Order: sequence, then structure tokens, then C-alpha cells
Amino acid sequence: MSTSALTPLRALPPVGRTVRAYFAPVDRVHRLPTLFDPSVNGQFSLDAPPAPWIDLGWIENFVRKSTSKFGGLVTGCPSTTQYQVRETVDASVSFRFKAWSKLSMALAAGSQHMNLIVPAAGGAANGSGSKGVAPVNLAAGSTATFLALAASDAATFAAGGLVTVDVDYTAQTGFVGSGVYAAYVSSTTAVNSDPDYIRRVSFNVARVASVSDGANPGLQLAQPLIAGVPAPGMRVQPICGFVDREGGSFFQEWSALFVIPGEQGERILFHYPRLQAVSGASESTTPLVPPLERIALGAAFRALPVTDSNDGEQVVCFRSFLPSFATLV
Amino acid sequence: MQNAKDTFYITLRTRLAAVNPARNITLRSVSRPGILVQDAEAPMIRPLLDAFALSWTGLQADLQLPAILAEMTCEIQYSTAGTAANAGLDRGRALEELDYEVLKLLYPYSAQKMNYTQNPAAAMETMVFWSEPEFGPIVSERDCLSRTAKVTVFAFQDQGES
Repeated sequence: MSTSALTPLRALPPVGRTVRAYFAPVDRVHRLPTLFDPSVNGQFSLDAPPAPWIDLGWIENFVRKSTSKFGGLVTGCPSTTQYQVRETVDASVSFRFKAWSKLSMALAAGSQHMNLIVPAAGGAANGSGSKGVAPVNLAAGSTATFLALAASDAATFAAGGLVTVDVDYTAQTGFVGSGVYAAYVSSTTAVNSDPDYIRRVSFNVARVASVSDGANPGLQLAQPLIAGVPAPGMRVQPICGFVDREGGSFFQEWSALFVIPGEQGERILFHYPRLQAVSGASESTTPLVPPLERIALGAAFRALPVTDSNDGEQVVCFRSFLPSFATLV
Repeated sequence: MQNAKDTFYITLRTRLAAVNPARNITLRSVSRPGILVQDAEAPMIRPLLDAFALSWTGLQADLQLPAILAEMTCEIQYSTAGTAANAGLDRGRALEELDYEVLKLLYPYSAQKMNYTQNPAAAMETMVFWSEPEFGPIVSERDCLSRTAKVTVFAFQDQGES
């Protein structure tokens, strides 16, 4: 038995339209980035990335730069470069997020990204939101997309609202936030021992699709929580939006994957296991019809190293190429 | 995109009824606010005077957003011959009045997208929004003055919307 012969094509120049971005959290406590293996998942469906990668859509103005420095080992007279050495390994990547969301805002800002908790009556004004309304407890039976609540608590929420779901701050120090480490708490005094602090910075947020009462009261969420099934002790607070700041001492760190799908079926992937922001919050606009403009989030990152377990080398980025069918390689 | 077009038209029609209740037309024996969509009416040799006729021309779509952003050009054409009582000598004033009404109809520059194929109409998830009008030059033909105002209408495609 034989298969039909392939008629090979000479290697073709890749032609792509734009770049799609995916991000995944880094385990800051154990210093474990999310690694993407192109040999396993390289041809994943762009609309359904493998867990835990989160699709942040098409991006624009994608620019990546190698800023590694090379030095020459010079000997002899007249001197000539005999060997080369890598003095530094460094790389940057920048682009614009087209869509605004909790994640894209947080990534672009690079520091603590806060949820604007619906304020309690009479709270003192504050730039990142004042003291919030009291959180409500979760009941048994919650899932990543359903928050079981007491009927009286569920009645305080409305379809279309936003919620943050996380544990109380109870004097923890170090990285905090469920699903994604959202901030680093150096001391209880730094956060005024605010029991809502973790919910204020948490990435475990969602929009409420509907509120149910009756036998199974709770909130049906329009999107799954990033931390999955709520852990015991998590509580729910309504939020009305998000805020970031120019400043802040915390650096978020994310694993990133950028994909350029080629028109012939080939695929170029750029995987940065560890990215930290190198710029503050910024926006830029694209004119539609004056004075209408589309407002994009500017983002710029520095790549940090990981060790490639295949050879022990310290690298900051992996570029993969999956050729189209039938082209010579 | 049809929901966005319908929403734009109904919004302007509702606003016209408030801005100038006297501007009416009678089509197919029905009196209604003086605004129509050309592709939804029988072809006309000459435009209806003292009324607004919408025609959809350009279309672009940005497919690289989480939801498709449609960008549609709507041309609002209107003509007047003035009033018979003034022997048409007020046609310039009448056109100015139409110009002013266009500005009033378009502001605010957005509306909740509605699905008018249902009864009652159902609110959809997104807003339709549009540019400020770009007025073309006055065109003088016989006893009529005409103008076309061009508006770019934007709408994100709702989930499940055809």
C-alpha cells in the first residue's frame, strides 16, 4: 500500500494579516510561568486556546525587539575579533490592545489594577474608590459560572452588574489574589488592614447574566471566574468598573503568546514566558470619522528569562514556525 | 446590520416627530413624519419635497475586533421648492430649516440598537452611534434646492445577530 505522492512547493513567504494575543498567569510564589509547547498545541484553534491561556483578541502595532548586546573578544595586533560573546540577553515587545477589559487594562498598566467597588454610603472620597458596600457570603453549590447566595443577598444584585469574588484580607502578606496574583502586600498597615483589599485588586471578576431566586438563589455569571470554582471563604461584592494608576510598586508578570496565522496555513508563534510592563498606562487613538476615534490601550513589556530544560540555556522568548502543508523546509 | 439601519431610521423618525411635528408626508395613504428609507419605498422619479430620504451607500467592516464593527454610510437627501404662498421665493429659508432639522435629528449621536422585526421591538445589547453630518453643497435644479448630508453609522454586531 502506498500513499499518493506529495507535490512539494518551494518555501513561500508568510503572509499574515495581524497578531492575536493570549496571556496566562504566572505563579509568582513558586516562580512558575505558564509554558506554551508549540509541538503539542501549536495548531490550536485561535478561538479556543488551551487552558489556562486567555484570548485577548487581535492586537495592533505589534513590535518586538531584541535588545540583547553582543561583545567581541579581540586579540592580536592589529586586533581582530576572534570570538563573540553575549553580554546581555534582553528583549521587549509592544503593541496596542484594541479592546478594553479588566485583563487588557491591567496588562497595559502593569501595576496593581483595582476594581471600583460600589461605595458604601458616606465613605470618604478616594481616587481608586472609597470604602465599599459590605460583601456577601457564598453559599454551598457555587461554580465558576454560578454564585450561590442567600435569597436576600441575591436580591441586592441585578442582571448586568459586575462582581468581584475573592477572600477577605486577613493580615496576609506577600502575593494576593485568586487565579492571578494581583498585588503584593508588604504589611497590613500598607493596606490599612482593609478586609476588602483583595477583592479590590482581584482578577476574579465577572458580569452577572441573571439573578435567580426561589429554590436555587444566586447569580448566573456571563463569563467564568478566572479562579474557577470559588474557594471557601470567598465573598462577593458589586463593582462598577476598574481603575489603574500611574505609579505603584508592584509589577504584574504574565506569560504571553502571540500568534500570526499565515494565509497558507502556516503559523508563527512568539512565546514570552515572563513579561513585565515597562511603561505606565497610556492610550492612543485611531480616527474613524472625525471626531469619532477608536481608543486603544498601549502596552510595552520587557521579557524576563526562563531556563530551557532541553539545554539549560537562559532565554527570554521562543519563536516557532509551523510551515504550511506541502512546502519544502 | 439591518437592525442598526432600522434603529437609525426609527430614531430619526421619532426625533423628527418631536422636532417638527408639522413635517409630514403621505405615502400609500398614510400620513407620517417626513422621513423615509429609499430602499424601502417604491422608486420615485423625483424626490419628495420637504422630506428626508435616507439611502444606504458605503459599507465597511472591521473584523479584527471582538465583535464585528460595521461602518455604514447613510446619505440624507432633502429638497425644497419653498412654499406656494411665497411663490417659492422662500426656498433658501426652507432649505436652511431642513439643514437645522438634520442637526437636531442626529443629536445625540447614538441610540440603543433595537430589533424591529419583533413586536414589540426588543432592545439589543449594543448602541448604534454615528458621526456628525457632512453637508454637501446646495444643488439647484429648476425651482428646487437640494442638499445631501452624509453620516457614517457604526454598529457592533450583537451575538447571534444576522
